[in-house]
Amino acid sequence: MPQHVPAPVGESTAGSAQPAPPTGQPDAVPPEPARRLPGAPRPRTLLTWLPLLLAAALWISSLPHIGFRSMGEYGLLDRLPVTYYLSLLLLTAGFLVSLRRAGTAPWWPASYCAGLLMALKGVPAVLYDSERYPWASKHDAVIDHLLANGELRPDEGLSGNMSAYDQWPGFFTLNGGLVRAFGADSAAAYLNWAPVVLGLLMMPVLLLIYRTFSEDRRLVWTAVWIFQLANWVGQDYLAPQGLGFLLHLAVLAVVVRHFVRPGSAGQLRSRACLDPAAAAVPPPTGVRQRAVCAVVLVPVIVAVNAVHQLTPVMLCVTLLALCLTRRYRNLGLLAVAGAIMLAWDLTMGRPLFMETLGTLRDSLGELTQNSRAGYAGQLTGAGPELAGRASILMVLAVAALAGAALLLRRRLAHSALPLLLASVAPVPLFVVNDYGGEMLFRVYLFALPGAAFFAAAALVPAVGGTGAHRVRPSVRRAGAVALPVTLAALLAGFMPAYYGKERMNYTPPAETALVTRAIDRAPEGALILATTGSFPKALHRYDRLEHWFFAEQELPENTEMLKDPAGYLSTRLPPGTTAYVILTRTQDIYTAGEGLLPPGGFASLTRDLAASPLFHVVERTGHGVVLRYDSP
Amino acid sequence: MSENRRPVLPARQVLTRTALGLSGWVALAATALPGGTPLRWSPVLLFVCFGPGLALLYPQSGPLRPGARLEAAALAAPLGLSLAVTVATSLFLVEAFSGTAFLVSLAALTTLASALPGLPLPAATRGAVERTPAAPARRR
Repeated sequence: MPQHVPAPVGESTAGSAQPAPPTGQPDAVPPEPARRLPGAPRPRTLLTWLPLLLAAALWISSLPHIGFRSMGEYGLLDRLPVTYYLSLLLLTAGFLVSLRRAGTAPWWPASYCAGLLMALKGVPAVLYDSERYPWASKHDAVIDHLLANGELRPDEGLSGNMSAYDQWPGFFTLNGGLVRAFGADSAAAYLNWAPVVLGLLMMPVLLLIYRTFSEDRRLVWTAVWIFQLANWVGQDYLAPQGLGFLLHLAVLAVVVRHFVRPGSAGQLRSRACLDPAAAAVPPPTGVRQRAVCAVVLVPVIVAVNAVHQLTPVMLCVTLLALCLTRRYRNLGLLAVAGAIMLAWDLTMGRPLFMETLGTLRDSLGELTQNSRAGYAGQLTGAGPELAGRASILMVLAVAALAGAALLLRRRLAHSALPLLLASVAPVPLFVVNDYGGEMLFRVYLFALPGAAFFAAAALVPAVGGTGAHRVRPSVRRAGAVALPVTLAALLAGFMPAYYGKERMNYTPPAETALVTRAIDRAPEGALILATTGSFPKALHRYDRLEHWFFAEQELPENTEMLKDPAGYLSTRLPPGTTAYVILTRTQDIYTAGEGLLPPGGFASLTRDLAASPLFHVVERTGHGVVLRYDSP
Repeated sequence: MSENRRPVLPARQVLTRTALGLSGWVALAATALPGGTPLRWSPVLLFVCFGPGLALLYPQSGPLRPGARLEAAALAAPLGLSLAVTVATSLFLVEAFSGTAFLVSLAALTTLASALPGLPLPAATRGAVERTPAAPARRR
């Protein structure tokens, strides 16, 4: 990696810096300090690597003490030992020190960012003895389904719209290839590592995007750091969205670097008009070059469409927003992306696409409904409520920081306008659809790269400004305090937002085994009943069974159901139905935490169904109960 | 080494291209090992993530802009995974999917790509007129 040195930082406190020397030699390395005793460690060097080493040692030593099997109301939060939290603080401190040399030694902030990713999201990957997060388990079931069939059946019309996975199968076919090539039994062998792997792959792409808009490596790495802390939204598990987002960012990176129209940069070509931290606009490209680039992007755009139904829409609105700037008005590329999306939607994705079009009339303009989180219900319980509040505060904090940068660093906002537009572009999708209660999280995710960049710009004052653009020492001093405080605050916000509801995500292997046995027992065409689909192996053998997750509805309806659950269910089952009711511990935690059932509701439901003559218990363990219903 | 003695392809580039060209076949050979062992899954994972992408993006000709190598490294995985998605989905569509077919297709593609010049990403190789003065030898 060539070492461009736009803004080497002096000996000041992290977050502030001395004005940069002239940067005429981009690949120059700052001169060595005049003299030092041979063999004597330089304090600055020591402070750069020692925190990483200590943090790694603390993190590893904390692992055996993490009581994930006995999580209480606060999820993992109160099961993580002090040494774990100390390791996070040490990583933050080390990162801040490493920023001083971000221009000349980028591997240090890179190592700290990778270390943070591992420290934050690697715990379940290393420790858990089962699949983390029931939705990941569902995706595992989809991979198994594809591997068992060896073909795609987009028109099969499976229960619960599960055929959508055959209509946008790219992520699952890729994992099918990996499962076979790894020689693993299923994706369960590696799915807990998805957040770490996806995060590592995403990091250089983010870096590439940020470097296109800033030459200040401190700002760039701080943005990467903030992105990781603000990425609590949990879309990085083994799911099409994680891969789709990576591909989306890759397309964005290529566009901002290679699709600048000639003569469009205007004043931005003049260094005097740029923020001291801003990068010059990339060199313009001719029509033919951009056409070649579009061809290069076609496989990535096709893969985005093969992988996920929402990401192509996000990509198209992002490209459309970029067309609002003179710099990136590339209607041809937008047409290519739109054409590929339409072609996929009208062929492979036709069934769900047509169904969604049919429901648009109802959802269009329902802003409040479309921006709600989840199916229904309110977060209930100390941990989930804390997680909810932390999530909101995190969104507000990042938005406030980004907003401050837009006000305080208007020239940077001007030169990085494309990134701002790319972040804002997904917001109007609230008007269109609720995406199964997920739109809020998806819009946040797609807005995050730009928001993190501008949040970092608010915290890392520019260096090297002269004259009217000179940064006042007081601003630098404020930045020196604000940066570590804010990073620590975001870290404090990340933990409850990501791990506050962790009890819903960890499932003991014995519960998984119970569900698997129950579903294996069910004859073909039987109906699987459960309060929610959020439990492990819920969709095991999903192509041979029907499903009804009967509590995924508004609380009043569930309260009505709880008055006589056996009657409620039996009157709604078609004659001749053989149904299995699976009620597990994870469902109990989920329905209580998400507010689908009132306190004690799950227990009374289980009790009433087990006592009903219409249902009889097939199996009962400490992790749940399985009941069978035979239609009279 | 003087300019007129420089070989058509520097040894390092030949080595990298050869390694990339062989990477898929090494991953395929690793599948002969028992399932789930690190010696099996690690070369496969590295190859699927980076092999095809790096083979397509490397090497770029001409003087590189700052960040061009980072660009190749950053885009290698998305590009490679895109190809892997396309290959795997196509194999399912023609009902010819198997782990071997998946790896052989990607390995063949990678070998072919490693023999060709890198994809022409224009701003990666062009000198930015605003910042980088052209080398005297290149001025016309």
